[in-house]
Amino acid sequence: MDSIIIASSSIDAGIGAWDLATGNELLRYKSCASPPHGLVSVGGRFLASSQLRDNHSSSGSGSVLYWSWHKPQPDVKSFPVEMIMPLVCDIGGNYIIGGGSSGYIYVWEVATGRLLNRWHAHYRAATCLVLSDDESLLISGAEDGCVRVWSFFMLFDEIGKAEAKHLYEHSFTEHTLKVTTVVVGYGGCNSLIVSASEDRTCKVWSLSRGKILRDILFPCIIDAIALDPGEHVFYAGGRNGKIYIAALNAASSPDSPYGKHIIGSLHDHSKGINCLAFCGDGTSLVSGSEDGLIRIWDTRSHNIIRILRHAKGPVNNILVVARPETILKSTASLGRKQQSLLPPPLEKYSSEEPIGTKAFIGGHTASVEQLDVTYLTEYVMNNQIKDIQQHGSA
Amino acid sequence: EEKSLHCEMSPARVAGVRGNRRQEYGERRVIGCSLLWENRRMVRPKASSKKKSTRGGGVDFKKFKRKLGRKLPPPKNATNTEIKSKAIILPEQSVAADKAGLAVSKKGLTLKELLQQSSHYNPKVRKDALLGIRDLFLKFPQELQSNKLAVVEKLRERISDQDKLIRETLYQLFKLVVLPGCKEDNQGVFISLLVAYVFSAMTHLSLDVRLMSFKYLELLVQHYPPTFSLYAEKILQGYDDILRKNQLHMEEIGKLKSILSGLVSCLSLLPSNQSEDSSISKVIAAELQLLHAFEADAPKHSAGSSHIFERLEGLVVVLVNCFNDLVTWVHSQPALDSQTSDCMLCVLQSVESVVRYFFYAREKHALQQLPSLPLEKLFTVFPIKSKAQLSEKEDDRYLILNIKISEIFFDLSRLSCPPVFLEKFLEFIESLLSREFSSVTRSQKVLYEKYMPTLLACLPELLKVVDYGWKARLLQAYTTVFRGSSPQSATKVACVTVAEELLVPHKQNSLNLDVDDQETLGHVLTWMRELPMLLIYLGDVQPSTSEVVIRLLVQLGRFGFSNPYLAEEYDNLQFLLQEFFVKQNNADTNYGPFLRLPKDSQELCVSCLYFFSFLDPCLLECLASCCLSQDLEPYILLRIVEVLHSAYKAGHVLMADHISFFITLVSKFEVTCGQALSVLDSEAKIPRRATLRQVTGVICSFLSQMGDHTLVFDMLEKIVLDTISLKLPADNRCALLRILVMVDSSPTRLSDQSITKLSKLLCEYLIDIVLIYPVEECGNSNYILHSRYYPLPCYLLFHRSIKLLMLVLNMLEVFATQLDATPLSHPAQLDSHHWRRITMVVAVFLMISKDDKLRDILSSCRNEMYHLMQSVSSILSKEESSMSIEQKHKANCAVEQLKTAISEISP
Repeated sequence: MDSIIIASSSIDAGIGAWDLATGNELLRYKSCASPPHGLVSVGGRFLASSQLRDNHSSSGSGSVLYWSWHKPQPDVKSFPVEMIMPLVCDIGGNYIIGGGSSGYIYVWEVATGRLLNRWHAHYRAATCLVLSDDESLLISGAEDGCVRVWSFFMLFDEIGKAEAKHLYEHSFTEHTLKVTTVVVGYGGCNSLIVSASEDRTCKVWSLSRGKILRDILFPCIIDAIALDPGEHVFYAGGRNGKIYIAALNAASSPDSPYGKHIIGSLHDHSKGINCLAFCGDGTSLVSGSEDGLIRIWDTRSHNIIRILRHAKGPVNNILVVARPETILKSTASLGRKQQSLLPPPLEKYSSEEPIGTKAFIGGHTASVEQLDVTYLTEYVMNNQIKDIQQHGSA
Repeated sequence: EEKSLHCEMSPARVAGVRGNRRQEYGERRVIGCSLLWENRRMVRPKASSKKKSTRGGGVDFKKFKRKLGRKLPPPKNATNTEIKSKAIILPEQSVAADKAGLAVSKKGLTLKELLQQSSHYNPKVRKDALLGIRDLFLKFPQELQSNKLAVVEKLRERISDQDKLIRETLYQLFKLVVLPGCKEDNQGVFISLLVAYVFSAMTHLSLDVRLMSFKYLELLVQHYPPTFSLYAEKILQGYDDILRKNQLHMEEIGKLKSILSGLVSCLSLLPSNQSEDSSISKVIAAELQLLHAFEADAPKHSAGSSHIFERLEGLVVVLVNCFNDLVTWVHSQPALDSQTSDCMLCVLQSVESVVRYFFYAREKHALQQLPSLPLEKLFTVFPIKSKAQLSEKEDDRYLILNIKISEIFFDLSRLSCPPVFLEKFLEFIESLLSREFSSVTRSQKVLYEKYMPTLLACLPELLKVVDYGWKARLLQAYTTVFRGSSPQSATKVACVTVAEELLVPHKQNSLNLDVDDQETLGHVLTWMRELPMLLIYLGDVQPSTSEVVIRLLVQLGRFGFSNPYLAEEYDNLQFLLQEFFVKQNNADTNYGPFLRLPKDSQELCVSCLYFFSFLDPCLLECLASCCLSQDLEPYILLRIVEVLHSAYKAGHVLMADHISFFITLVSKFEVTCGQALSVLDSEAKIPRRATLRQVTGVICSFLSQMGDHTLVFDMLEKIVLDTISLKLPADNRCALLRILVMVDSSPTRLSDQSITKLSKLLCEYLIDIVLIYPVEECGNSNYILHSRYYPLPCYLLFHRSIKLLMLVLNMLEVFATQLDATPLSHPAQLDSHHWRRITMVVAVFLMISKDDKLRDILSSCRNEMYHLMQSVSSILSKEESSMSIEQKHKANCAVEQLKTAISEISP
């Protein structure tokens, strides 16, 4: 399957897209200055990114922008009630979850833009959000050093909420400083999670047992983590420009030159590593660095395969996604007549209707999927019609 | 015949016929004879009639005539029992045996003999045997190792010995010799061998044996704690029986006490939350090797069956009754002696262990159907008081008992709160907390120290349940203790822990303090202000306490305050904390306790800096002077820089403050610490040089991330140039130049004015470098590595501005020709001779010209180079007369080198 790399920066350098196989730049989407973990591909249908506050925007409110694949300008602009930092969405692209700067977490339904739920998750700003692979658990990290695990069942269960002492399933408070990133392994509620913090440590937790399994001290602050698909090791990108390889289930010698449990490093005189992502093949690792370069590494030989240049500013988000059907090869072939097919903007406040009826109950969720299916088919049909028309004209 | 009679009668004897032996035997014989006679009469009539008929005579018994001195002829059917043997061989005779080389006791007996003797019927011999065994084992420990099982199997029979002295001796033998000797093996086997006998001794007829058996049990439990969980039910049964059925009289209080103390040590082995916590931390310390490995989840202790709970409940009833008996007895006595109060304390401790275990079981195993503990009787007698006037000692004893009861009450209130008694206990705890510390006696102070932490630990739980009025009273009392207790005491630590429970919102027990209430707010403010003071007061005396305080400060910062007053107060704590880092009086800097704390606490304290919503320049100043201290570890130094940068990114530090912190750090960091500047192998000899380089690298990367480069450059340009001109050591100047290069761009943004200024500074700097790294040593590989480090920023600057290079060449010319032109930072090495200046200028030029990239630029500075060469040659020819031959030679060589170098660059 064809994959593309998408990257964004904290300065207004747009979102770059490259073909993974050839390294050709495809299209640059404009006006995007995203915070770390603030770029998502919503179900492969379009891109969404939260935006760092700029002084021109109306005071207090943040913004989340949508780009459709074929248009460089943002298509839909939403203005949530506060600045949204991390964004995450489920694989199907039905829900978008965002973490606010006051510690609130918001859940929106994409198709309608409705704000389904919001709750006070952290005492300080949320910095990263991640979903477990079965999408039943949400894991959030925050500036207060907490990593919390939330169950969607609990969040939409009004009775359970009233009975429970706390909403979260687990609250890991061992980090003393801001959590920079969290990744989750395979296995739903039995998986491992790895979190990194500005206290220079990475900690490995067990979701099922709710306790810490391993604490690894690194020579510098770790800003990005990528799990090896086999969960033998994880790759930790540090602020000193090195990508450390730390053992999960691999053997490690206690007297490693980097520290306990750290097996080795990938290293290329770059500035700090801001983000890491694994490609679909399971061996190539993509790293985005402070110096604006995106490096693709072969994890078997520890060599760089390719370097892509994003911008002068730091690259702080990288996604590797399947190539969408409608992405344009270059700006030259921009179709002007195409109309927006994107869903409405996200709500600022939840609508009058009680949220309870919109919970993730089986029947309802099914109906949402139904909606999506029709939406997708319509989408595909439109494309096919277009193709046929083009063929006809040619 | 008599013998057979004896045998026949023995069952009767076993049945318990007692009396005089002789008499007994006599009676028996009579009975036996008559029985026998009966028998005969019953069996024989027929036979006799036959005999009669056959023999024909009317004689019943035939009469033999016997002659004196003759033996009866043997009966016809007699068996010959004669044994005939040629020789009798005795294998060995113990007394005479040769025991050389064998392990023997003082009396010359081997272990085997001693063990045999230990079951001798004579108590004295048994005792001697036991003592002998002890001697033997003390002398030959390996003897015990090889015969452990046999020894234990034999000796256990003596546990229920009739003789008191023997039981005591055996106890000592087990305690001092046998059990310590069996420590490292599979102890369960020995214990199972012994326990059966101990249990049977518990049901012995004699009270003394039963009492002693509990002592044995205590010993076993002490040596091998799992004994209790393995045999919990039987053990509890035993205690229950002895406490319930055997009505130990108050006169025998000593015996009661020994039993109770055993019970306390057994029950303290019941799992409770405290013990669980420590075991968890052990698991983390052990570090898992495999993360996905399967973890066995078998229950760790077998005492969790439901029978245990019933047993314990029964035991608690007995204990409470026992306690009430003791109380009534005490009231009838004139005074409370120590033994009685110890007894009562033991009862209370046992009850407490049970209550804690129940709580633990409910939390851990989610057991809902626990029997409720009937403790009302205990609470009704609270508080225990005596009507009479009390001596100080007795007063303390009553106090301890009352404290213990209230602890039990508060523990129980977590299970199920009996509200009837709550008031009574609240009053007690309030009076206890708010007692003035200055007014209590010394012994009471010790008491408070011991019991206050546990009482304080109950406080967060209590505050949850009590009503508003009581809450205010308790908080008031708690604040009094917090302020009044001495900083190094355990009470203070407990107070800080309670404050953590109350203030940190994510804690399980946290209650939402109603901080809108003025009074509560006042209390909270007092606690917070107390913390930095405490840190300063503690110094480095008690690092553990300091760590607790720092941890609380960090947690408060992390979880923030919704109340604006508290948030403001938290920010204000940084002013109080300044003294913790540095005490500044006038020009002197005295470092505060921070530098002397262990590394972990320091790191924790550093993370605290991130959470202040703004950082005052004063605090930054203190931090900077801490960073410059030689005692600070490089790791912590780097952490401080890192955390401050994070704080800057979060908007807690002003940009100007942040930059000046960096500049101060880099410019004042002392590399040499007063030593003479050594030339080479700098890394090994001067570790601080490596630290400075590391810090410079980190600061450069931070500055490059600060955003708008032009803005940062504008801020830095002047301050860096001014600082460089302050005659700093070369290392610091190099660091500053690197910073300047980092923020500058190509082509340079330096203003003309700055370039002029910089040219002079660079000229001095380059000459200093040449002094540090003389050209003669360029063969050394270390030299090549380090020689690049210092001039590199200059090269980069030259690259960006050719004008700067020209100016520097001019400055070199001026330096070479005019003796008074540039006073240097190393005047001692530099006599005012022209020849030295000439050689140095040439060295600088050669160094620059070696850089490949600079050669291209140099080639476009032809005029300056010629000027330099001309003035150097002219000054040489002018001053030649004043030089010695050697100096002249060196200067000439230098000039020749210069000429060739210049001609190579621009032929």
